[in-house]
Amino acid sequence: MPSDPIIQVRGLTKSITNGAHTVEILRGVGFDVPKGQFIAIMGPSGSGKSTLLGLLAGLDSATAGSIVLDGEEITGLGEDELAMVRGRKIGFVFQSYQLIPTLTALENVLLPHELAGGGNGRPRALELLESVGLTGRRDHYPIQLSGGEQQRVALARAFMARPPILMADEPTGNLDSANGAHVLELLLALNRREGTTLVLVTHDAALAAQAGRILRLKDGVVVGDDLRA
Amino acid sequence: MHSTALKIAWREARASTAKFLFVILAVALGVGALTGVRGFSEAFRGMLTRDARKLMAADMTVRSFSLATGEQVKAMDALPNIRRTWITETVSMLSTPTASVPVLVSIKAVDPEVYPFYGEFKLEPPQRLVETLDAGAIAVSDDLLVRLDLKLGDSVRLGSADFRIAATVAVEPDRMAGSLNVGPRILMSRAGLDRTGLMVEGSRASHRYLFRFDAGAMGVEQARGKLKDAFPEAQIIDYRETHPLITRGLDRSTKFLSLVSLIALIVGALGVAMAMHSHLQQKLDSIAVMKSLGARSGQIIRIYTIQTLILGTLGGGAGIVVGIAVQRIFPQLIARYFHLDPGFHWDPLSAVQGLAVGVLTTLLFTIPPLLSIRRVKPSLILRREMEETRPGWRDRIRHGKAAMAATALILAGVLGIVWWLSESLRTGLYFVGGFTVSLLILAGIAVGLLWGLKRFSRSAQQRMPAVVRHGIANIHRPGNQAAALLVALGLGVMFTLTVYLVQKSMLAQIASSAPPGMPNVFLINITAKERDGVAALLAGHPGMQNRPEVVPLTAARIVKINGAPIGDRQLKGFSRRFTQTRSVSWARELPPQSNIVEGKFWDASTKGAAICLSEDAAKTLPSKPGDTIEWIASGKSISARVVCIYRSDSVRIGSNFDFLFNPGSLDGLPTLHFAAVRMQPGQIAPLQRAVFSRFPTVTVINGADVLAIIQEVVDQIALVIRFISFFAILAGAIILASSVAGTRFRRVREVVILKTLGATRRRIGGIFSVEFLILGLAAGLLGSLLATGFSLLVLKRLFQVDYSFDPVPHAIAIGLTALLANAAGWAASHRILQQKPLEALRGSL
Repeated sequence: MPSDPIIQVRGLTKSITNGAHTVEILRGVGFDVPKGQFIAIMGPSGSGKSTLLGLLAGLDSATAGSIVLDGEEITGLGEDELAMVRGRKIGFVFQSYQLIPTLTALENVLLPHELAGGGNGRPRALELLESVGLTGRRDHYPIQLSGGEQQRVALARAFMARPPILMADEPTGNLDSANGAHVLELLLALNRREGTTLVLVTHDAALAAQAGRILRLKDGVVVGDDLRA
Repeated sequence: MHSTALKIAWREARASTAKFLFVILAVALGVGALTGVRGFSEAFRGMLTRDARKLMAADMTVRSFSLATGEQVKAMDALPNIRRTWITETVSMLSTPTASVPVLVSIKAVDPEVYPFYGEFKLEPPQRLVETLDAGAIAVSDDLLVRLDLKLGDSVRLGSADFRIAATVAVEPDRMAGSLNVGPRILMSRAGLDRTGLMVEGSRASHRYLFRFDAGAMGVEQARGKLKDAFPEAQIIDYRETHPLITRGLDRSTKFLSLVSLIALIVGALGVAMAMHSHLQQKLDSIAVMKSLGARSGQIIRIYTIQTLILGTLGGGAGIVVGIAVQRIFPQLIARYFHLDPGFHWDPLSAVQGLAVGVLTTLLFTIPPLLSIRRVKPSLILRREMEETRPGWRDRIRHGKAAMAATALILAGVLGIVWWLSESLRTGLYFVGGFTVSLLILAGIAVGLLWGLKRFSRSAQQRMPAVVRHGIANIHRPGNQAAALLVALGLGVMFTLTVYLVQKSMLAQIASSAPPGMPNVFLINITAKERDGVAALLAGHPGMQNRPEVVPLTAARIVKINGAPIGDRQLKGFSRRFTQTRSVSWARELPPQSNIVEGKFWDASTKGAAICLSEDAAKTLPSKPGDTIEWIASGKSISARVVCIYRSDSVRIGSNFDFLFNPGSLDGLPTLHFAAVRMQPGQIAPLQRAVFSRFPTVTVINGADVLAIIQEVVDQIALVIRFISFFAILAGAIILASSVAGTRFRRVREVVILKTLGATRRRIGGIFSVEFLILGLAAGLLGSLLATGFSLLVLKRLFQVDYSFDPVPHAIAIGLTALLANAAGWAASHRILQQKPLEALRGSL
């Protein structure tokens, strides 16, 4: 292990009750992620990888088990406490960009900083926009940007609050190969520069190949954990 | 975060202009009704204060129903540097040689040399009062000319004299301050009134003394004190105050109409809540993203609260403009009753109050959708299926508690608003109670109706044309909020229809409920000389359905009972009438259909003055046989012993007296006679003609004419209420439009798919029309059902009047609501039909 774990997962279980049926999506998942690691979570559709990511980020609550993020136990926290943990510790990149349509590119990037009630975040937001090559598009609304550009804004936004952990859910899934490669390149470059722990969910083997470790899920359990050179 | 919240709120609102435009309009209608009513009321009150002198044509007036005594005249003469003039108002009959029937008119006799002290009495053609009115010339209101087909210069007969119509009355400054304003106005000089022979001692008339304070006069308060001493029973008003009766009426109507406006406003606020709900449904992704970026629920709620505030403020602002229009329409609505236009004075306070109530109401009703933001899970962003998870019982209780708290907050808020508008906590509680019950019933029936409709369309699937089937299916489309729409629109229909039904039933009751024997013709101002002649004429007239009685009347006032002043009895409210001058009568025998409940009626052996009290008087005063009541009548004191209490089973208005004296005890007092008879309606006009030709100073009042006057007043009031309550229906229809606009994207998609599959615009139009018409019909039906229930309750409980069901107004209400709903639906969706399939399929959605 290169250093102390920043993510500790123990016996994580998630089940959904739909009418009379109970479906177990995750069944006793456990692993540690050391600080600065780039870990890819892979698995076929329905294996539970997005659910796992959601639980890690405190977007949803687990049925059983525990998650410790950067030394803080997040299972059992209330909605607003979880929101505050996310604001401080986690950056997000989604498959479908998820920019706020009524805010410009720059305002979208600034949003996490403003939600956390920080001071003047403008210089950093501009610097991040510059590093994703969108300085000239800063006053454009999401609808005026291409898919690749929107995802680059989302990248800048994810790093805005200097989160120790970045979570990405199929970040190149909606992009063509050229744009996808460009976004991935930027993501990895920013990740290196900021020293962030990167948790990436994908079913793209080529994308996962860039990671230092691959966690494989199937039917809600970990079926493989490959540490790579 | 504040600035970002504001930015998001403002930009989202701007991007959804079409969707929010309708709710802004709905709020504007509510606020408009409210500010219009209150603005008009303030302008009216302002006019009453500002023009107080003009409105009573004097600095001070004294109004009394009896002629001034010598002492009273002396007291008025003793006021130095205060000029005065005397006005007499009464009702009588007017006729012309060609008129088929004499007309009941309200006469006002003035001294044209000095009247009015303030303001201007305008005649048409323009001329000065003093040059127009003389002993033989009068001015009349133009409705008399229309009614009797007369023109200026024609001659009319009033009492026992003929008069030439010299002019028509255009503006009468002190009309509101007068009394007995029934029938067309006749303005004449005192000399003219003397010629009519109408005024004899004891005649029913209102006398007003107008005073003008010249330089060197005593203070208003001092003069008032002196006049109060001289006229203890009279109503004294000076220019520093507004007419108490008018002010009270204005206050009450303002409060009532404010509450009616509030209903429109609440419908508008429900619309905002519905629009906000569907808006939030569309913004779930953004909300989830913000939460995943670390936003707390409170921060996101702030964004949408700001948006609600923007909507409420824009609606309120537009409402202030609507209010100006309402305020301008108002004088026309009440023109027939108040011949005055208070002029347009924009009242900023009313506008600010309306805006505040608008924003507050909007905010209150938006609490539930705003609170639902807390339930949006950030995980929605990863997989929507998770939302389908059934919440655990703990969550359900927690959300149930929040919903209950939100409801309690809304009710408390509405209670506060009503309390403030009506200045009565009781009214507030009644309003909130009634409103909650109505909403629950409306919602219950709405859900039931929709459920029934769904079942019906499923079971009759094959037999129904596809257009109808699709139309019904559209009602149940996600996001349509059909039940809430039905409640909002149904509420407006219910209120407007209830007002109409109550008004109609009340009038029908007055017109039809007269039991056999109830008089329908009243003869007043019969002098002792005319008594036998009138009695003989009545007895010999065809069509008489009861034995006509001519009873004597004299005016008297109770001074003491068993030696104690009547003032000591602390009579309140309506009971106070026993402390004022009343009409009393005398009889040799107990009136027919009456019986003695206590004591013994007089006979020939009864000595001294004796009285028989009605049960009501005996209970209210209270008094019993053996008591001694001291009276004052025309300056003469009478002490009479109570010998009996009687109950009358007769319902003959006017011939039931609270105080009946024995023969002889009222001798020497000015006495006029009164007769009330029941006759075939067809014989009333011939009787009026016959009486007028022989006894022109006797006033014959046809019950049907009185009813017509009551009807006119009730119609006028109902018109105003309907005008304001119609805003609620309109707000409901606009909410329907807003809901249609809110489902625009779904509709566009459907239209495109249907078009792609070969549906014509006509067919799609048919589907939409069926949807809107059915919604309108259902809302109309709902409102109509509830209106029946409410009318029944109001009529039975408040007025003890029977309600008879008439399907016509219900059918009209349902039909009109359906049409209105269709118009509103199309106003919001006509552009959708123009959508080209390719544009939409290319992803411009």
